[in-house]
Amino acid sequence: MSVSAWLELLASGLITGGIYALVALGLNLQYGLMRILNIAHGEFLMVGAYLTWMAQTTLGMSPLWMVPVSFAVMMALGVLIHWLTFRRLSATSPNLDIFEARGLMVSFGLMFLVQNFASYMWGGDLRGYDYLTDPVPLGDAQFAGNKLLVFALALLFSAALIFVLRHTLLGKGVRALMQSPTGAQLVGIDTHRLHPLMFGIGLGLSGVAGCLLSMAYTISPSMGEPYTVTALIVITLGGFGSMGGALAGGLLLGVIEALGMHFSNPSLKALLSYSVFIAVLLLRPRGLFSK
Amino acid sequence: MTGPNILMRDLLVLLAFTGWCLALPHYGSEFEVSMALTCLMYVALSSSWGLFCGSTRYLSLATSAFFGIGAYTSALTLDSLPWLASIALGAALAMGIAVVMGAAVLHLRGTYFAVLTFGMTELIRHAVTYFEKKVTGTVGRVLTVVPERDTIYLTVLALAVLAVLVSIVVRRSRFGLALAGIGADEQRAQTLGVNTRLVKILGFALTAGFAGAVGAAMAVRWTYIDPHTVFNPFIGFQTVLIALIGGAMTLWGPLIAAIVFSILAETLRLQAPQVYMMSLGLLLILSVLYLPGGLASLRWSTVGGWWRNRERSHG
Repeated sequence: MSVSAWLELLASGLITGGIYALVALGLNLQYGLMRILNIAHGEFLMVGAYLTWMAQTTLGMSPLWMVPVSFAVMMALGVLIHWLTFRRLSATSPNLDIFEARGLMVSFGLMFLVQNFASYMWGGDLRGYDYLTDPVPLGDAQFAGNKLLVFALALLFSAALIFVLRHTLLGKGVRALMQSPTGAQLVGIDTHRLHPLMFGIGLGLSGVAGCLLSMAYTISPSMGEPYTVTALIVITLGGFGSMGGALAGGLLLGVIEALGMHFSNPSLKALLSYSVFIAVLLLRPRGLFSK
Repeated sequence: MTGPNILMRDLLVLLAFTGWCLALPHYGSEFEVSMALTCLMYVALSSSWGLFCGSTRYLSLATSAFFGIGAYTSALTLDSLPWLASIALGAALAMGIAVVMGAAVLHLRGTYFAVLTFGMTELIRHAVTYFEKKVTGTVGRVLTVVPERDTIYLTVLALAVLAVLVSIVVRRSRFGLALAGIGADEQRAQTLGVNTRLVKILGFALTAGFAGAVGAAMAVRWTYIDPHTVFNPFIGFQTVLIALIGGAMTLWGPLIAAIVFSILAETLRLQAPQVYMMSLGLLLILSVLYLPGGLASLRWSTVGGWWRNRERSHG
């Protein structure tokens, strides 16, 4: 294989990996901060994709405009869902383990609810639209313009989230809550405000990922579930609660999948990601990058 | 909860239930019998699930893996083996895989365990799909030699009754107490001399055996199977849902919930499948939020409790 073919393969892996990282960051925020393993996370990605598709086909809006819109809509939805369900759940659960198990069940319920709502509303067909499909030459290789845009925006949002968590007062509060919930509350960090907000931001990121995906790929009501699973794999790779780990894990998984599919065959993709997942969970349950 | 009176009551209820189910094929319509069959399938699956996962609080999502293994076993061996032997083989294979799987993952608790069992189920499903596509060159399998409807019905009925019976017996045995001890506090159980590793693997294998046998029996009902239908994660989810909504720790909760759900499923699924799934999701959320002990824990005082909470939060 020539050098440019290798580069092309790596780049296509990184493009998928960028989306993986974005989805995983949102899920990691929810799990790392609140111990909510949101199995329905990918479903909100799908809703974001459908909102973008609807705005593009019926109103003629540019998908780029829909990036902030779907973030805002999904974030509002997230705050609402947290207020309706997880608030009561954390008040009534006797300990964190039980909260985690019950939260998992609630998010299974959400998954059924949202996925079937989408197929009830929009039908089960594959949908899509054309946006920036012209190839852009980069060195020797060529990439579709929309995929490059998707990658750039996914990285931008991931970097923005990590920046906010590292360098703002809000982010410091969130990280303090991740390290020690009781300690953080003792120094005056308001859990009742931060939890819904961060749950909302997690869903918002998922909505953005959906919006980006719809620019380059076809969408369907069942598209969310594989991304949830991938996000789970990514956060186990990167370590539960570690944001930098999720970003690196997402990009890594994208490249592993691209290489694996190139050297074996595409129908092995799911088999490959599940093997990586199980191997990591069994051998390094605290994440690949843990010390 | 373990007095002789309760034992008599449980056995009598089970006997009445069995009698009614035995009579059903003689007067019920084809539709009613098929509905009862689905119902019994979920009774067997969720009662046996509750037996291990309810008492130890290990949330397993691997039911569909064992169900699928059983289904494939009977599909492959039905030509050469008698009916009961292929069901027993399905159960044995599922148990064998459960022992291997359990030895690998049962030291992990909580969400890790749930996610891992789900991942392994998907891994098995994709592996079987890949194997079928590449090696045997088919997508699914058509079952040509199929036993009569009544044979299938009686087998599934026997499995359901056996699952409840085993639950009744295990609850009163040393083994059942060890399982409950693990659920309450695993380290304490270990300190008190319970071989937790062995008990967990045995319990997991027992659950898997039932799922495998039910899968083997139900495969012939469908006459055409492919990995997507028999390893459908939804079978696993619905089992968990039924057990949780009914009350996974209780004996009769899963049975009651299985009946309610099968009726709901058969009446709603054909006309409005999405509405059925949406109401399933909503019910799950509501039952986790308001009835964490399951339907079987519902008493008048529970409703009173909601009312008091409401007044307190307003006052």
